[in-house]
Amino acid sequence: MDQPTLTAGTTRYAGARIARVEDARLLTGHGTFVDDVVRPGMLHACFVRSPMARARIVGVDPAAALGLPGVVAVFVAADLNPDVHESWYTSMGAAMPDPPKPPLAEGEVRFVGDPVALVVAVDRYVAEDAVDLVALDLDPLPPVVDYRTARESEHLVHEAYPGNVAGEIGGMPAEMLAPAFDSAAHVTSATIHQQAYLPVPMETRGLVAEWEAAGGELTVWASTQSPHEVRMFGARLLGLPEHRVRVIARDTGGGFGQKVLPMREDMCVLLAARKVPGALKWIEDRRENLLTAGQSRHEHATVRVALDEDGALVAAEIDHVQDVGAYPMPWPVHAGAAVGVFFPGAYRVPKARFSYTGLYSNTVGRTAYRGPWQFESVAREVVLDIAARQAGIDPIELRRRNLLRHGELPYTNASGMAYSDVTPLETFEHALGLLDLDGFRRQQADARATGRLLGLGTSSYIEPTATGMGFYGTEGATIRIEPSGAVNVYVAGGSCGNSLETTVVQLVADALGCDIADVNTIQGDTAVTPFGAGTGGSRSGPMLAGAVAETAAGLRDRIVAIAAHKLEAAPDDIELADSRASVRGTPAAGLSLADIAAAAYFEPASLPDGVPPGLEASGRYHARAMSVWANATHVCTCEVDPETGLVTLLRYIVSEDCGPMINPAVVEGQIAGGSVQGIGGALYEHLAYDAEGNPLSSTLMDYLLPTIAEVPVIEYGHVETPAPNPGGYKGVGEGGAIGAPPAVVNAVADALAPLGVTVTQLPLSPAAILALIAEAGGGAAS
Amino acid sequence: MAEVPIEVHVNGTARPATVEPRLTLADFLRERCHLTGTHLGCEHGVCGACTVLLDGEAVRSCLVFAVQADGAEVTTIEGIAPDGELSPVQAAFRDHHGLQCGFCTPGFVLSATAFLRDHHQPSDDEIRTGLSGNLCRCTGYQGILVAVRAAAGTAAG
Amino acid sequence: MKPAPFEYHAPTTPAEAVDLLSGLGDGAKVLAGGQSLVPMLALRLAVFEHLVDVRRVEGIRGIERQNGTVRIGAGTTQAAIERSPEVAAAVPLLARATPLIGHFQIRNRGTLGGSLAHADPAAEYPAVALALDAELEILSAQGTRRVRAGDFFTGLWTTAVADDELLTAVTFPVWAGRGGFAVDEVARRHGDFALAGACVAVGLDGEGRVDRCGIGLFGLGPVPLRAPAAESAAWGLAAGDVDPVELGRAATADLAEVPDDLHAPADYRRRVGAVTVARAWRRAVEEAQGG
Repeated sequence: MDQPTLTAGTTRYAGARIARVEDARLLTGHGTFVDDVVRPGMLHACFVRSPMARARIVGVDPAAALGLPGVVAVFVAADLNPDVHESWYTSMGAAMPDPPKPPLAEGEVRFVGDPVALVVAVDRYVAEDAVDLVALDLDPLPPVVDYRTARESEHLVHEAYPGNVAGEIGGMPAEMLAPAFDSAAHVTSATIHQQAYLPVPMETRGLVAEWEAAGGELTVWASTQSPHEVRMFGARLLGLPEHRVRVIARDTGGGFGQKVLPMREDMCVLLAARKVPGALKWIEDRRENLLTAGQSRHEHATVRVALDEDGALVAAEIDHVQDVGAYPMPWPVHAGAAVGVFFPGAYRVPKARFSYTGLYSNTVGRTAYRGPWQFESVAREVVLDIAARQAGIDPIELRRRNLLRHGELPYTNASGMAYSDVTPLETFEHALGLLDLDGFRRQQADARATGRLLGLGTSSYIEPTATGMGFYGTEGATIRIEPSGAVNVYVAGGSCGNSLETTVVQLVADALGCDIADVNTIQGDTAVTPFGAGTGGSRSGPMLAGAVAETAAGLRDRIVAIAAHKLEAAPDDIELADSRASVRGTPAAGLSLADIAAAAYFEPASLPDGVPPGLEASGRYHARAMSVWANATHVCTCEVDPETGLVTLLRYIVSEDCGPMINPAVVEGQIAGGSVQGIGGALYEHLAYDAEGNPLSSTLMDYLLPTIAEVPVIEYGHVETPAPNPGGYKGVGEGGAIGAPPAVVNAVADALAPLGVTVTQLPLSPAAILALIAEAGGGAAS
Repeated sequence: MAEVPIEVHVNGTARPATVEPRLTLADFLRERCHLTGTHLGCEHGVCGACTVLLDGEAVRSCLVFAVQADGAEVTTIEGIAPDGELSPVQAAFRDHHGLQCGFCTPGFVLSATAFLRDHHQPSDDEIRTGLSGNLCRCTGYQGILVAVRAAAGTAAG
Repeated sequence: MKPAPFEYHAPTTPAEAVDLLSGLGDGAKVLAGGQSLVPMLALRLAVFEHLVDVRRVEGIRGIERQNGTVRIGAGTTQAAIERSPEVAAAVPLLARATPLIGHFQIRNRGTLGGSLAHADPAAEYPAVALALDAELEILSAQGTRRVRAGDFFTGLWTTAVADDELLTAVTFPVWAGRGGFAVDEVARRHGDFALAGACVAVGLDGEGRVDRCGIGLFGLGPVPLRAPAAESAAWGLAAGDVDPVELGRAATADLAEVPDDLHAPADYRRRVGAVTVARAWRRAVEEAQGG
């Protein structure tokens, strides 16, 4: 066989809705989130932040703050910034262009919330008092607030970037596609706008950094999706050997991309840790999280699609412009380019082109958020519905004519992406089957007759998961069967709610034929676990499956060999189940894994020739494919109240093909969470600034997250097309946030279409909807 | 500024302390009582992660000062069931994948416990209304709704 | 987000409370439920040197049915009002507004008096007090004075209660005869502050003509508002002859300072404000006609 298989025999746990091993501690309040970490003599940090969007820093006077009892230190840029050795991300590489990344603002403040000084005090209460006493002397400068006009502005966010251009990239020039558009039967053009919104994990950012000078060791407790990146970045930042930095991440309260990379505040705390007489804790508060943890999704594009007379797509192009804020992390151009590359989606599009421009603005920097390139689906799915209506075709029909079928694969899209192992059309039909399309259309028509507006929207996408590229392309595991026969599995971790512990335990129990109660996992401690890139990019399921397969195979062979030797049977006749090895046909006679482990550790002379003592192994899986492709279709029905513009979601269906599922409950949970974040983006969430760059939604009273009352029951359809990697599992974490916004927008657009409304802008607040109705002439009387 | 002597009864145990008036009940529980199961998600009364029972009523502990809880009974997530056991609400959350990262979970468990005590056989709409004051970012609320329905069934008997 | 330091006072009698307020001056603030005040303190949008906690003050909690009125202590929680059969029977408009206030955890602490004294322009209780011509009792070291709801809300977050005074009770009239009461509001999410809202109390005479009418608007100005033009247009008409849509327009036609913010521009609020008047009117009339 060319790659290790995942099971010892009968699969008991993979595919089942196993209760989570994380739940016992989390349900009873015994999780360890970073703010739960208490160290002797621990001190607390709080940042002084700019109240202006752009200003010259004339002076920072800490005198009054230092005079407050309980204040230990106040650091400014001159204290911390020069100590930076290197500040590049391992995942990006040292050679990648890196936007400026000063730990504390130097020279200029560039957005409201820009950290200017770091106060250290005995507790957070005193630290906040001290922050109020630090005197900031700022000389205001005209801010560049609107990225859409940033290129033409005479003001620069960063002097080194003329035209405020952070980066540009493109496919073929527009002229090359002109003939296809010029000769097409139908051409639809639209400019689609998405607002700034962001991950808002329930746990804000934070870390505790403890420097132990005698041994030159730094221990960091972090709320992170990648403990190893924090370690490597931190070691390079401080000029410390990697093995002198230990990062511990026990429980992280949500990440969604916001906690993939250490950011400027993390840099400040790491730099300050060696200058204060105790562990240094920084816990971000919610206002800081909304103001400074980074924004996403803020972009627009002019898109064009061309159809022939039968409604087949002949060409598609997207000219995409993105707001990257003042301090994007990481360099945004590659994720930006992904929008253009994936714009053709899972459709048969012979010709496509794109361009991408990232522009700086004096607002918070762009950071990753669940499916960072998802704008390709927003733009495409919204314009396809518009194109369908303009061409007189039902939007559903348009999808049927153009979605790729499984039988057409492998298919190389117009940007060179080679798709395989997906079922776009089949999944689409599966979702519609769950809906009862004809039934809905009748319901919609009946409702329209009484003045009620119901709508149906779909979105279909294909996403790259579990990339094999570079930093993300491998995953390691160490499996130790302890002398007692218990099994411990060590993986890098970075779980932030996505059930990595349960996933690993299920997989290893199957791989070694154990009872799941005998398997335990240790994650999130760089001193103990093998290197792993962490969680993100919908990689954890497939990569952990690969790591387990790679590592468990040899161990299984050794268990079988020892059992065969002791039971005087042929290895092929040995079965592993329920933590026992027995001879096929006589399950009652056999050995427990404890017996086998005891022999391996304490009676090495009794082992068969060629079998090494002990029962521990490490392995590392290398994902060969650039991507493991997954696809899904979201279907949403809604009612729009024409008097108030309020949207009620009626049904929400997701059919996805993530291959076989390790744990269906976990898969559905990921889909649900991402979808509700996407619903939030379509209807409620908006990180807004006024014309002077002052934030307007800096608390949860103004940044509106969906509550349980706003979301319908989500119905799931599962299509299972295996990918060619161990277990056939594909990633599934990001998809909900990709597919949901366009499905909701299209549902609202379908409800409003009879009024002559075309929707091209998110979010669809009630006021925005009433304005659209009024513009289309449907406004006046109720 | 004068510190104030208080005695709060937390999960059945008296906790005498001397506190600054501005110390929130949430911080008192986390820092003085070392009960870190009550989480701070926003500190301005919106997200509900800090929900505890104060004299039996579900409240946002970030909006109560410890001095205001002098003489009161507080129940936190650590006290909702005896050590090593799960309450019906907790068991339902486990059984129906009602949590992922777990940060909002204590607040939901406390709110759901109080809600179900006061509402027997609630409709889905009533559950949604009742829990609309607790935010979750991981689950999309799907597992939570199923869990609370299930716990209501258990409680109603 | 931790509040700035303050001194804490917990008086046990109303006299003690107003003595404290009088002595401490304008650096002191009454702390009731804290559901509006404490977030402001946490965000350091407001700083007070002294908080006077009135939760332990005797005599300002409770719901008392009197002759033709219901008197409710200012310290009564919204949850207690929500549970009260007396309020449900005798002041239905107040009962029906209550579940719209935030979430049950907020109502467990928030008080009637706190809501009225804080006077958020988008809050329900101030509009209900206005629509029903409630009477508010204000205590100072000089004694108790009574202020009509119509004179109570004087400006944005400003009421007739002075810095050295304490709101102690609110008396609501009980509407006899055929009455209907409804509250309607438009909010982004369940429990959010209303973008616009209306509470309507309507009374019908024996022939089904409107003989009593109170329309309170919230979210449509810096203070809660009555709609006198709409009310007088409805008086004397048969209930069925009042066009709810026209009524809504009349109620919102002359609004001068409609709020404009991230959640909704002024013209949106004005427009849906009219819709909430119409919807509340329809429901109130249906109840009055049925009962």
